[in-house]
Amino acid sequence: MALNGQIPNGGPIEIPSSQTVIGINFGNSFASIAVITKEGLADCIANEDGERQIACAISFRGEETYIGNEAKPHLVKNSANTIIGFRNLLGKRFSELPKDRPTSSAPVIQHPDLPDTPAYKVQVLQPAPSPLSPAASALATRTNTPAASQVATPRSEPIPAERVLTPADVTTLFLRSLLQSAEDFLGKRVDGAVLTAPGWFAPEQLDALQEAAEAAGIRVLQLLDDSGAAAFCAAANASDGASETTEARPDRTQLVVDLGASSLVLSLLAVRQGLFHHLAPPAYHADLGGDAIDDRLLKFFAKDFTKKTSVPLKVAPASEALDMRAEARLRLALLHTKRTIAASVGGVGGSAATCAVESLKDGLDYTGSINRLRFDMEAAPIYSGVVARAGELLQRAGLDWIHVDEVVYAGGSACLPGLDAALAVHLREDALTPFVTGTVAGGGIGDPTTVLARGAALQARLLAEINGADVRVRNAFQRGSKLVGVQATARTIGVLFPEAGAEGLGGQWIGGIQAETTVPARRTYALDVDLGEGAEAGSRRVGLEVWEVKEGIKIDKVKPPKDEDEEEEEEEEEIEVKEKTIEKEEFLGGLELVARQARKVGKRWRTSIEVQFLLDGKLEVSARETGQQERSTLVLAVGP
Amino acid sequence: MTDIVTLPVVPLPLPSDWKKQDPSLGKSISRESPLSSASVSHLTAISITAFLERKLIPVGPAYLAHVRRTVHDLSFEEHDKHVEEEQKRLRDLEQEGFEEDDLGVGDEEETEELLSLDPKEWKKQDHYAVLGLSHLRYRATPEQIKIAHRKKVLKHHPDKKAGAVGDSNDDAFFKCIQKANDVLTHPEKHRQFDSVDPYYDLLEADVPTAQQVAKAKDPNSAFFKHFAPVFEREARFSRLQPVPLLGQYTDSKEKVEAFYHFWYNFDSWRSFEYLDKEVNEGSDNRDDKRYTEKKNKAERARRKKEDTARLRNIVDVALSADPRIKRIKQEEKEAREAKRKNKSGGPSKEQVEEERRRAEEEAKAKEDAEKVARAEAKKAKAAAANAAKKLRRQSHDV
Repeated sequence: MALNGQIPNGGPIEIPSSQTVIGINFGNSFASIAVITKEGLADCIANEDGERQIACAISFRGEETYIGNEAKPHLVKNSANTIIGFRNLLGKRFSELPKDRPTSSAPVIQHPDLPDTPAYKVQVLQPAPSPLSPAASALATRTNTPAASQVATPRSEPIPAERVLTPADVTTLFLRSLLQSAEDFLGKRVDGAVLTAPGWFAPEQLDALQEAAEAAGIRVLQLLDDSGAAAFCAAANASDGASETTEARPDRTQLVVDLGASSLVLSLLAVRQGLFHHLAPPAYHADLGGDAIDDRLLKFFAKDFTKKTSVPLKVAPASEALDMRAEARLRLALLHTKRTIAASVGGVGGSAATCAVESLKDGLDYTGSINRLRFDMEAAPIYSGVVARAGELLQRAGLDWIHVDEVVYAGGSACLPGLDAALAVHLREDALTPFVTGTVAGGGIGDPTTVLARGAALQARLLAEINGADVRVRNAFQRGSKLVGVQATARTIGVLFPEAGAEGLGGQWIGGIQAETTVPARRTYALDVDLGEGAEAGSRRVGLEVWEVKEGIKIDKVKPPKDEDEEEEEEEEEIEVKEKTIEKEEFLGGLELVARQARKVGKRWRTSIEVQFLLDGKLEVSARETGQQERSTLVLAVGP
Repeated sequence: MTDIVTLPVVPLPLPSDWKKQDPSLGKSISRESPLSSASVSHLTAISITAFLERKLIPVGPAYLAHVRRTVHDLSFEEHDKHVEEEQKRLRDLEQEGFEEDDLGVGDEEETEELLSLDPKEWKKQDHYAVLGLSHLRYRATPEQIKIAHRKKVLKHHPDKKAGAVGDSNDDAFFKCIQKANDVLTHPEKHRQFDSVDPYYDLLEADVPTAQQVAKAKDPNSAFFKHFAPVFEREARFSRLQPVPLLGQYTDSKEKVEAFYHFWYNFDSWRSFEYLDKEVNEGSDNRDDKRYTEKKNKAERARRKKEDTARLRNIVDVALSADPRIKRIKQEEKEAREAKRKNKSGGPSKEQVEEERRRAEEEAKAKEDAEKVARAEAKKAKAAAANAAKKLRRQSHDV
């Protein structure tokens, strides 16, 4: 008898909800947080002040502690108690630090107790020792006869005190506020985070960063190389099909330009089917960055101010106290100006950005504006510096500008369209940059300000999804894992389809395995082959030669096309046109197939073939007709 | 990882004089299998340039795949297989998770007929079929009804069909769904509908008869085959649960008796309000209303009476055809027979013997006792005579 309501179906099984993970980009000047949204995409979130770019600054004022962007204005009046630029001091010894740098914030001093440790000394108001709580006093009255009133004793006035903080303490304070912002946003506890760290950080600096993060209550899943985070984010975007315009090839050379406020880091990466490795040690330059652009803009606006008001103002560097204050105010206002310029779509000479400061000096207000052209002129030395450093890096890797297939920007100052324009002069025409693909504007997926945090969040999700039992796989993401060491090919290997009467190489060249491809590798290419017009069924064949080649550059000097509108007779300059070339280096063998599945297209016969390269200790090149089992294979050893 | 890059280039045909050749330098061992045109060439003397040492950035799914391959020592093919399996497992898990909460409601396709139902005729529709619960019917729990309703609404909500080109009678079936839900979620209405569930009408008409059972090859099993589902069906109307069911041939007398006792005193919740004639809403004529109500009431009572009679009839037929009753009667008869036999047959030879011996013994003992008594009496008599004689002599002497 089946009683009503007694159908045995079993209760629903609880599927463990996945872990909550975040990505944190912790820069020297700014930080950002990214989470994984419901749609499974990484998204940079704003903190409670509505800021996605959270300034790495902490200010102490009385009993209050200001963290983030609200601490920045304190640089004006309360600079002695405001700390900025503390990340780069992590794990450093006091004796290692350069002492002569002028600073607008709390000075770095030797820690009074710890040997050779940098520290900051700030003046705070400490709350007076709290009087006995009513509960405690009630306890006391039970034994001591006089009855106390139930009203809590008012606190005494806070007493001024000195607080000594090491960079690690400051980092912990700051990261804890970031974690708090993320948890407030998500509404649940954060189980783990991936933090970005600069590639040039020494192991002890990484240790210090990890310790500080753990102290802030963050379970650090991985300290991820900045360039790795940027490259991964860009690659994830491309593979998600999020940007349809990006036809990123799986094997490409990528230049990561990380232009932050205080430094420039350039990395040249080989991307080989999602695996990234450096082609040259990343270049770190502390002299280029947003601050350098700021300095030039400061001078520009100060001059403008003097012109307008005839009040002398000497900034960058300022020496007088009044000037220093004015500089700090102007610097804060510049942030807005730079963002307006970065967001302007009008191109050269487009919309102008204003810079307005009330009571800049001597009670005089200042309002000025700068347009895109003027801005780029001011910033040109920095742009050209970046281009020059990138050129050096490429040279070190033995490559040329034309080998760069993709540029990825990271960092606040990389948003400036002028920088991309400066780089585009040297890049190949079909090279991809976020500006070319149009993914920068409006907080797009190529937005340099958030790319690092989003890359870190994506990595955090990846790590959270790894099966927990697989310790060896998990450990492969930790620092110092031996699994990162790999071998890579030195030269490009490919196949040549010989053609009758072809010039140059003598046929159609297909690069199979590019130079710098990590071992093991597998590449499969499918293509159609023309078999000619009327060959007999048995004699239709496909032949290919396997070659190892050298890639070179051919530089042609061509005269520019004559501009007919130009009336002036100018000395015609020759333009250098660079072109990638392939030189046959070594013949490795031949492969031959008989086409059995040829089909007629128009008057000519065609067939589809697949060519596979399998590289693992030895190289195996095989070709077959699509759908057929039989292969023609060539096996090659790897030389000493 | 099994990405095949499709290249847009089409190489031109080979030069007619092209011949597959091996590199000129060195000795090369080239094997060509004669059976097929497929060939494998092992070139030992020729090698590609030595590898460079590089350091990967530990980031991204490709690195994870690389690590998995390295750690577990997998080839590309093996790793592909693993990835596929993992994906399949995840998909299955997802699907299971999805089916977990529907409590076996499932998805019933609506027939053309069902979709063309008129919501105005809602009294005639099969509410279970409309909600896709016809496989559960009265067994459907409130939770299942809720889930089924949600499913149907998701599928048939007019908003879902907004863009589609269609007839104006678009939301008719949706109204039917809502009506069905109204009926089935209201306990009283639900009970009333269950009382007259159209699905069981035909089944109820088809009650097995005693002849049917008697004519069957094996009347015993035929009885249970025919009647068990009938009682199972009727059991749902009982106020008392659980209901004793028909059981099996070997049931004891008590059990069979209890069964018939229960069914002759069946307390049914079945009622027939659902079939009431609608009170004409339009008319304010009180008499009209009262008249209809009165008629309805009478009709209900009549139906109820009919139903009770119907059930009683079923039980009667069952009782008359029940092979167990015959069996029990037979058994009882045999028992009585045996008893009677015992009475008429008298005691057995041994018993007689025994009795006789006992009687003899008793007689003997009696005799002995009498003897003793007699002797005793004699003695006493003699003594008495002696004493009298003595007395007489004495007196004589005196």
